[in-house]
Amino acid sequence: MGRKPILPRVWHFASFGAPGVVIYLCFVMAPILISFGYSLTNHNPFSPPAEFVGLENYRLLFQDEQFLTALRVTTILTVIVVVVPNVLGLGVAVLLDRKGWLYNALRSVFFTPVILSSVVVSIIWTKLLDDRGPVNDALRALGVEHPPGWLSDPDLALYSVASIVCWQMLGFCVVVYLAGLQGVPAELLEAAEIDGAGPVRRFRAVTWPLLAPSLTINTVVLLISAFKTYDYVKVVTNGGPGSGTTATIAFDVLATGLDANHVGYASAMAMVMLVIVATLTTIVLRFLRRREVDL
Amino acid sequence: MRRSFALGAALLLAASLTGCTVGGGTDASGGEITFLTFETPNLPPSYWDSAIKRVTDKNPGLSVKKLVAPSTDRTGYAKQLLQSGQFPDVAIAVDSAGFAESGNLYAWTPEELKDFQFPGANPIKGGHHQLPANTQTIPPIYYNKKLFADAGITSAPSTWNELLAASEKLKAKGITPFTIGGGKEGFPSAMLLDGLVSVEVYGKTPDWLSQRRADKVKFADPAFQQAFGKFADLVAKGYLDKTQVSRDYSATEAAFLNGEGAMYPMGNWFAASADAKKPPFEIGVFNFPSEDGKLVVPAYTGGGIVVNAKSRNLDAARKFALAFQLDKQQIDASVKADGLFPAIKGYTPPADVGPVFKAGYELYKEAVAKNAVVNAFSWETADDGLLPGMKDKVYQAAQDVITGRRTVADACAFLDTEWAKAR
Repeated sequence: MGRKPILPRVWHFASFGAPGVVIYLCFVMAPILISFGYSLTNHNPFSPPAEFVGLENYRLLFQDEQFLTALRVTTILTVIVVVVPNVLGLGVAVLLDRKGWLYNALRSVFFTPVILSSVVVSIIWTKLLDDRGPVNDALRALGVEHPPGWLSDPDLALYSVASIVCWQMLGFCVVVYLAGLQGVPAELLEAAEIDGAGPVRRFRAVTWPLLAPSLTINTVVLLISAFKTYDYVKVVTNGGPGSGTTATIAFDVLATGLDANHVGYASAMAMVMLVIVATLTTIVLRFLRRREVDL
Repeated sequence: MRRSFALGAALLLAASLTGCTVGGGTDASGGEITFLTFETPNLPPSYWDSAIKRVTDKNPGLSVKKLVAPSTDRTGYAKQLLQSGQFPDVAIAVDSAGFAESGNLYAWTPEELKDFQFPGANPIKGGHHQLPANTQTIPPIYYNKKLFADAGITSAPSTWNELLAASEKLKAKGITPFTIGGGKEGFPSAMLLDGLVSVEVYGKTPDWLSQRRADKVKFADPAFQQAFGKFADLVAKGYLDKTQVSRDYSATEAAFLNGEGAMYPMGNWFAASADAKKPPFEIGVFNFPSEDGKLVVPAYTGGGIVVNAKSRNLDAARKFALAFQLDKQQIDASVKADGLFPAIKGYTPPADVGPVFKAGYELYKEAVAKNAVVNAFSWETADDGLLPGMKDKVYQAAQDVITGRRTVADACAFLDTEWAKAR
C-alpha cells in the first residue's frame, strides 16, 4: 500500500477554505490596504490625480485639535460602554438566572433592544430625551423646574449618547452572562455551600472565576463596537452640540472623507483607529484570557 | 474536477472583483435616464412620481427611473454614487461644487438658460452647471401674530433695535422670542447667524466670501465678528433657548406651529408648510432687519437640476431637465408643495397659493425691484461659496456660542482654523 497522494488533500482543503479566504481578502484585507494607500496621499475624489505625501497626513493628524478631541470623546465613550453594560449585565443576569415564566419574560425584555436597529434606537431616544420629550416632561411633573438638556447641554450630550449605546448593549451582556451562569456546575456551588460559604463568597470564589470567558467576550465585543460608534452619534447629535462634544473618530472619518472630500486625510484617521482598536483588543484579550479557568 | 474547481474559483474571484470595481458610469439601460430625488415632508414620493409622469407624458420618448437619496443629504449621497460609478444622469438640488470642477457636470449653454430669470447664478469657473430654477430667501423671519399682539407689539420690526425691543417685550411676557433648532440637521441653529452675516457683512461687502477665498479677509476680522457678536447678544439676553439646539428640523417647525415661540427665522420654503398646516394663529413674515433699516434680503438662486456630463443619454438627460424645470404645471406644483420662488422669466404663481407664501413672495419681489438681494451666508454653492465641509463648522460655531462653549472671538478663530484645514 503506497502513500496517499498529497495533492488531492490540498485541493480538498483549498476548495473548503477558498471562498472564505477570497471573500476575506476582497472585503476586509483589500479595503484596509487600499485605505492605507490612500492615507499616504492627498486623495480628493473631485481633484484627481492624488499625490503621494508620505506620512504627512499622520504628522498633521497628531497636531489636529479636532482629531485629538475626537480621540478623547471616543475614549470616554468606550470606557463607559465597556464598563456599564458589563457591570449591569452581570447584575441583571444573576437576578434572572432562575426558573419561571416571569424570568423568561424578563430575559426577552432585556434582549429586545439588541435586535433593534441602532438607527431606530437612536431615533426613539432622540424623541425621549428631547427637551419637550417624555423624560423631561416627567421631571417637570415631579417639580424639576429646569430639567437637564440631555442632548443640548455640551457637558451632558456625550453621556446621553453613551447611555443609549449602553441601553442597547445591556441585553447582549445579559445573554452572554446568563449562558456563562448556566455553565457553572451546580455541584461546585453545593460543595461550597456545604463548606459554609455564603452567597457572596460562593459568587466570588466559584461563579465569578467561571464567568471569565463571558467577561472576555463581552469586553472585546463592547470595546470594538464602542470604538467604531458612528450611527448613534450621526442620528442623535450629528457630532454636536457645537464642535467636538460627541464627534467620535468614526464620525470624524466620515465627515472628513465625505463632507470635506479629504479622503487621504480621513484614511489616515481610519488607519490610526484601526491600530488603536487592534492594540487595545490584543491587550485586553491577553489580560482577560490569563484569568480564565478550565474545569 | 480540478478544472471545474479552478473555473469556479475564477468565477468567484471575478464576481468579487466586479463588486469592488469603481467606475463605469450610469446603469441606465437603453433610453432610460436615472433621476436622483429626495424626500421631505413637503416633497413626498407622490410629488416626484407625479412630476416625472407629467414630463414623460408630454415627452413620449423619455423614460425615467427615479432614485431617492436615503436622507436629505442628497449631495453626500451623490458623492457616494459617483465614487461607486453610479452617478445618476440627472439630479436635483445637489450642491454642484466639486462635481462641476471635476468635469462630472454638464455646463449649460446661454441658449439653454434663456428662459431663466438669473442665468448667471452660481458660476463655477465660468460655467453654469445647475439650472437656476428657483430662489429661496434665507432667512426671512416668520412670526406669530397672536403672540406679538399679546406682548403689545403692533408692527413687524424693520431695524435691529426694533427687533431687540420686540424680543424684550416677548420675553417679559414669558414668551420665547425665537424658535430655533439644530440636532442632526444643524442648520436651524445657525439661521439667525446666517441672516446677520448676510445683512450686516454682505450688505456692505457683497463679495465678502470671494474675498475670504482669496484670503483678503478672515472670519476673525471686525466685520464678521461684529455680526457674530449680535448673534451672541441675542443669546446673552436670553432670547434663544439653548436647550433647543438638540431639536431636529421637523420638531423645530412643529414647535413654531404649536405656538412655542414668537419668531421663526427660516427659509421661505417654510411658507408651504405654514399654508398647508394652517395653525390656529395667523403667521406674518418680515425681512431680516438691518442695523439702520436698509433693505437687504439674503437669497439663494439655484437648487435646480444638474446633468451628468458623462451620461450615456446626455441628450435625453438635458431634455428632461429643461422640461422638468420649465413646465408651468410642474412649477405651480413646486410652489404649492415647497414654497419656492420660481426664477423663470414671466412666471406668475397661481392665484390660490396660501397667504404666508404670498406675503413672503411680495417681500422678495420688492427686494428684486430695489436691487437689494445679496447671497445667503452658508447657503452659497458656487465659486463664492463656503469650502466643502465648512457649512457644518458654521453650524457648530453657532451652537458653541449658543451653549456658551466658545466666545465670539474663539468661534471666529475656530472658523478660520477649519477653513485652513478645508483647503
